[in-house]
Amino acid sequence: MPPLFHSWKPKYPPAIVNVYLRGGADFLNMMVPWKDRVYRSVRPGIAIREEDGPVKLDSRWVLHPALSAFEPLWKAKMLAPVVGAGSPHPTRSHFDAQDFMEYAAPGNRTLKQGWLNRYLTESAGKNSNDFRAMATQELLPRSLRGEFPVLAVPTSMDRRKGSKLLDRFEEFYGDGMTKEGGVMGERKDDSTGVVASGKATIETLRRFQEIVGSKKSRRGDSNYPQSRFGSRLEIIARVLKSGEGLEVAGIDIGGWDDHTNQGGVEGRHADRLRDFATAIAAFCEDMGPRMENTSVVVMTEFGRTVRENGNNGTDHGHGGGMFVIGGGVKGGKVHGSWRGLGDENLYQGRDLQATTDFRDVMAECLDGVFGFRPPKNFFPDYKTRKVGLF
Amino acid sequence: MNRLLLLASSVVFSAVVAAPSTGWGQGKSDPLSEREKVTHVLNRFGYGHSPGTFEQVLEAGAEAWLKEQLEGGIPVNPILADYLDEFETLRLTPKECREYTTMEIPDDATAEERQARNRLRDLPKRELVRSVLLHAFLSERQAEEVLCDFWRNHFNVSFTKGGPSQNLIPDFESTVIRENLWGTFPEMLSDSATHPAMLHYLDNYLSRKPPTKQELAEVERRVRRRTGSRQRGEEAASIAAQRGLNENYARELLELHTLGVDNFYKQKDVVAVAEALTGWTADLSRNGTQGFIFKGNMHIEGNKRVLGRVIHSKTGRGKNEGEQILQLLSSHRGTADFIATKLVRYLVNDDPPSSLVAKVSKSYRKTKGSIPAMVDTIVKSKEFWARENFRAKFKTPFEFVVSALRVTGAEVESSDRIVRILESMGQPVYHCDDPTGWYDTSEAWLDPGVMALRWQFAEELAAGNVKGVRIPDSFFSNIPSDIPPLLWQHHLTRAVLPGGAGERTRAALAAVTNEYIKDRRVPDLFDLGPRLVGLLLGSPEFQQQ
Repeated sequence: MPPLFHSWKPKYPPAIVNVYLRGGADFLNMMVPWKDRVYRSVRPGIAIREEDGPVKLDSRWVLHPALSAFEPLWKAKMLAPVVGAGSPHPTRSHFDAQDFMEYAAPGNRTLKQGWLNRYLTESAGKNSNDFRAMATQELLPRSLRGEFPVLAVPTSMDRRKGSKLLDRFEEFYGDGMTKEGGVMGERKDDSTGVVASGKATIETLRRFQEIVGSKKSRRGDSNYPQSRFGSRLEIIARVLKSGEGLEVAGIDIGGWDDHTNQGGVEGRHADRLRDFATAIAAFCEDMGPRMENTSVVVMTEFGRTVRENGNNGTDHGHGGGMFVIGGGVKGGKVHGSWRGLGDENLYQGRDLQATTDFRDVMAECLDGVFGFRPPKNFFPDYKTRKVGLF
Repeated sequence: MNRLLLLASSVVFSAVVAAPSTGWGQGKSDPLSEREKVTHVLNRFGYGHSPGTFEQVLEAGAEAWLKEQLEGGIPVNPILADYLDEFETLRLTPKECREYTTMEIPDDATAEERQARNRLRDLPKRELVRSVLLHAFLSERQAEEVLCDFWRNHFNVSFTKGGPSQNLIPDFESTVIRENLWGTFPEMLSDSATHPAMLHYLDNYLSRKPPTKQELAEVERRVRRRTGSRQRGEEAASIAAQRGLNENYARELLELHTLGVDNFYKQKDVVAVAEALTGWTADLSRNGTQGFIFKGNMHIEGNKRVLGRVIHSKTGRGKNEGEQILQLLSSHRGTADFIATKLVRYLVNDDPPSSLVAKVSKSYRKTKGSIPAMVDTIVKSKEFWARENFRAKFKTPFEFVVSALRVTGAEVESSDRIVRILESMGQPVYHCDDPTGWYDTSEAWLDPGVMALRWQFAEELAAGNVKGVRIPDSFFSNIPSDIPPLLWQHHLTRAVLPGGAGERTRAALAAVTNEYIKDRRVPDLFDLGPRLVGLLLGSPEFQQQ
């Protein structure tokens, strides 16, 4: 790629797809420090071994074999793992850790606007598009909650009948009545939130139907896995490919709370990893040259205990890791700092240290993808530290 | 009806419709009207009214209805009893359930026999989910159902855990939740802690002290003898050597069941509680009791320090440590505050008034966690009846769907479709994967997009397009035949929203009616009626409780 590329106006609009692994995914069995002797001894039942055929990244790191779909992305320098990414807050509660991460405000229980929603609000003037963000699931991930209206696409809705349905309810929720001679006054009552939500539903869902119905948004040829995650990711790709200005998409994969029977090279954790990686690889292929300005950002609320627990699983830990995947990122290189698995290097003697604040990664993604430098207090009580992702 | 008549009746229509007091747009501090009070209690301590019951409660008075609901003694609805009678697995113990779902059939069984057998596999799960729905929908003891919903969510267990969970959860619903509903929190907590469904869901049944060398040698010997392979024996021993502590239940016990997140406890308390609870397990083996059992050989001996207190360990009395901890947690101030906050949030307001939380917490401490005492404090408080808490909560998908079925007097032949609709709205019964249970504030359920699914359901239900569910004709034919079509909406609004509808909703319904009448010489009640009801069920007012 010519070095001048970055100064050119991007050919395709920039976008972030935020993938959240709910439950605290065991990052240590995704990015594996396989030569670490301690690793194998503290995970006798679930460790990934050389004979399992992991994907070798460099002298220290391998990817779990179930993530082998990432190998071409690594070779194309599109995959940037950040080891030891996590939260400065010590909580091991799923709920709190997810809140703190998605609101990007560890320890702060009053801020209730997601970090991506804050970006949307802050940059609202710049982009007047009405369909800047969406999630392909019934309920929004917290990162997208807040002031800026974001559509949670009801994937189970009948698309054919959908549009007439919206027409009928417009009188109850939309702007319609006020236009026709002020039947409605300014109404202040307890259903304000409901009316606002209904109005947003009508507007954004119409837009969504229009977009996925358009010619430009055709299905991709790449092979998405036949899973919920795969099909939802494909919808995101379709909307991005339509070129209608979608900037931010959120999507969850649940089930990572592996207290028991996590498994090693095979098993429940491995099955989930396979689905996760093949879907993302299919997405990248489907997006093609658009990946140059798109980043898939993968996160989870915490890592898990370095030691395997008593039931072939792992308990809630501290430091974990993240992936940033895309054309603009400095991939093909492992980011973050690594201290090893000896007891003396562990957080509270049991977990990975959070050596990179997850907000460092978020900040660089916002800057690297959108050229958006988070203003002061965008992340409360936070000082930027460079990771070097872009 | 000709145009002239239409115009004339439209004048009458506006006069009539403007007349009833709607309750919308009242001053902030005005006390609730009787109609509003009835709406309030029926929604907060019930899933709304069913045809005709609103007027009955109005006559008896909101307070009287509540009193009756909370005092008990209301007979079981015979229609509900009939439904429940058809269920085969609801009253089975976990052991019986296991036998039922794993029933073996001979190798030469016919295809039909096999099919019948396969149907049993997930029958307990299907029946329990349907029974929860039917109870909420049909039980006359509505307050009981609302409280069940609260505690079910507080002590969340889920079929998504798989494995034996489906044999265990039906019993959990009846013995942990329903039987303790009018008892005390400490009893419910203790019953949940020893119930196999909870022990399994949060993995405590596996948590144990690491095996001793002797035990490992025993495992190795046994496997070697059985398989005749030395290697297999060694492998088995090395797997057994990894068995040990699991923190899952201990953490959620502190965080979700008693003290609230990171409240009064630290990671070391989690570990100490987990250690104290080692050996609290369930015999889930093939011929096991499927019930609670304390296994001394899994228990980690030694004194533990929990919340600054020493839990003394006595050899042979390991189970007692867990009991001491439950006792310690039940009588902790933090637990009283946490339970009070959650109850008030659920029954009164997403943003629970601190004055009321303090009163409920005090009731908890005074009565050693009596559930009826806490509820009583709430219903007798001025906060509960304050206007700012009227229609202040957004219905969860479960509340929305059940109240829509009730308000239309729906006849449910099969609830399969309803179960799937709740799934699509993100709240399938007993399938909340996350131990936190469902969110109990509207913020979580209000995302744009979800509303579309509610509208879709509202219309399908009203039009009779939900498979297995139908609104009886009488719901519409209750409207006197001499009433002009323009007034139908008024009657239907009264039927669906007796607490009143806002100006916008009424105007929107009028617009739909006018549009409809314009094209038709003979307006059909069974055509326009369902359309209006669909819109009413999808209206902003009906989403609130």
